[in-house]
Amino acid sequence: MPLLIKDEYPEKLFRKDGKRLDGRSEKELRPIKMEVGVIQNADGSAYLEWGNNKIYAAVYGPREVHPHHLAKPDQGILRVFYRMATFSVFDRKRPAPGRREKEISMIVSDCIEPVLFLELYPGTSFEVFIDVMDADGGTRCASTTVAALALADAGIPMKSLVTAVAVGKIDGKKVVDLSGIEDKAGEADLPIAITWYNEEISLLQFDGDMDLIEMNEFLNDAKDALEKIHQIQLEALKSKYLKLQEDTKNVNEEGD
Amino acid sequence: MMDIRRIISKIEKDYIISNLRKEERIDGRGLWEYREFQIKNDIIASAEGSADVSLGDTKIITGLKYEVGEPFPDLPNEGVCTVMAELLPLASPLFERGPPDEQSIELARVVDRGIRHADCVQTKKLCIKEEELVYILFVDMYVINYAGNLIDAGGVGALTTLISAHIPEGVWNEDKREAEWTGKYLTGKDIVNELPFVVTYGKIDDMVFLDPSLPEELVCDGKISISVTEEKITSIQKSGAATFSIDEIKNLGEKSLEIGKKLRKNLNLLQYLSNIE
Repeated sequence: MPLLIKDEYPEKLFRKDGKRLDGRSEKELRPIKMEVGVIQNADGSAYLEWGNNKIYAAVYGPREVHPHHLAKPDQGILRVFYRMATFSVFDRKRPAPGRREKEISMIVSDCIEPVLFLELYPGTSFEVFIDVMDADGGTRCASTTVAALALADAGIPMKSLVTAVAVGKIDGKKVVDLSGIEDKAGEADLPIAITWYNEEISLLQFDGDMDLIEMNEFLNDAKDALEKIHQIQLEALKSKYLKLQEDTKNVNEEGD
Repeated sequence: MMDIRRIISKIEKDYIISNLRKEERIDGRGLWEYREFQIKNDIIASAEGSADVSLGDTKIITGLKYEVGEPFPDLPNEGVCTVMAELLPLASPLFERGPPDEQSIELARVVDRGIRHADCVQTKKLCIKEEELVYILFVDMYVINYAGNLIDAGGVGALTTLISAHIPEGVWNEDKREAEWTGKYLTGKDIVNELPFVVTYGKIDDMVFLDPSLPEELVCDGKISISVTEEKITSIQKSGAATFSIDEIKNLGEKSLEIGKKLRKNLNLLQYLSNIE
């Protein structure tokens, strides 16, 4: 359906002063904010703001599997449902889940599964619901990051967290953490996730072109960025308990 | 995590009812008291208007998108405003995946009717060229946490979203036979007139109370939602298996106008007008 403003991209993705359009340098991340325990009904939940991305994740489980035939007798199953709100993108998205959402759901699920001890939960399922309220590039990476956080908040045993980020190429230069415009108008996009217990890659996709030297540099840049994001994840988990500690202290003091 | 089941134990049900008999609520409220509303406007950069509304622990995010298209043949100079609601399985273990169920359709339709019959959205201002091109507005609600009374929270969410709107203003170009952007925006000031509030009551036995929380909603026989403008009632929806006496309905009508007035004053939704130029 037509709109009055066209979704156009600028010709250049760098400003005159050498900075990117949003004022970042090449290896700078967008501002990231994470919080856990935001959805009271869920067993675990997390909220993430990453640039203009706004994403909620909630975990329910271990619980009975519906439909029952999906249950595995020797292990639990992880099911991830990634959805975008109709108003999260420039052109209103159709309300029903599309092919892209199903693909991303699968990718995120495959990416997180290695850190869980599913063999300890035969016959059950863990369901992770990821709902993107506002999207601005890199939602699959942001979703992976926030989903791992929600699982940790649910107190589900994990070998480690999982963190994801996209690196890529815009106007011939390598950059970290592509924004929506950079993602659409840039030349290459490499989303990548790491499982920290073995420091191995568990999500990898690529669109564009790169030579071998560039690939090495991409992977190194990504590792640096992932470490920074991992710290934010850990802080978010800790801050929930620090706040609890603070609250109990206040209550105790009032009691005296 | 809260312990949420579809079935509430007899002992909990009795507790809720015995409290109501004393005109008290299990969360400490009076019979005609709302939980606290918290409102944030224009939180979604991709949307042409949005709101994050909490009513107690119930939380709904609403966003506005527009398209331009042909008007309905019987209303050639009026735009269209539709409301959709989705009960995300993220929001409660009671919600399931799949196509919209009764509860989400009811939520969307009750909020929609409240708005439609209250002269709220100025559909005539949403016309770019008669018989050719009008705005189609989509107000989409997503439930993020379900703790009872989605309808009242959704109503405030939809209103705040429309008030915070900033939709590109179109002008018809007869030569090209298409619309162009003037560079300005239509805001809530241009498109919103009346502010209808939905007021929902639960009923158990012969007791009626405002703003049912989740446990109250699970044990109640039924609910009634009444939308009111400053002077008038604009829509009513009775749902569930409860029956209401004629006197009860008369009383609730009066009460709703009174509560609507209080809400209008306390929430002061016009503060959320977009100030985009």
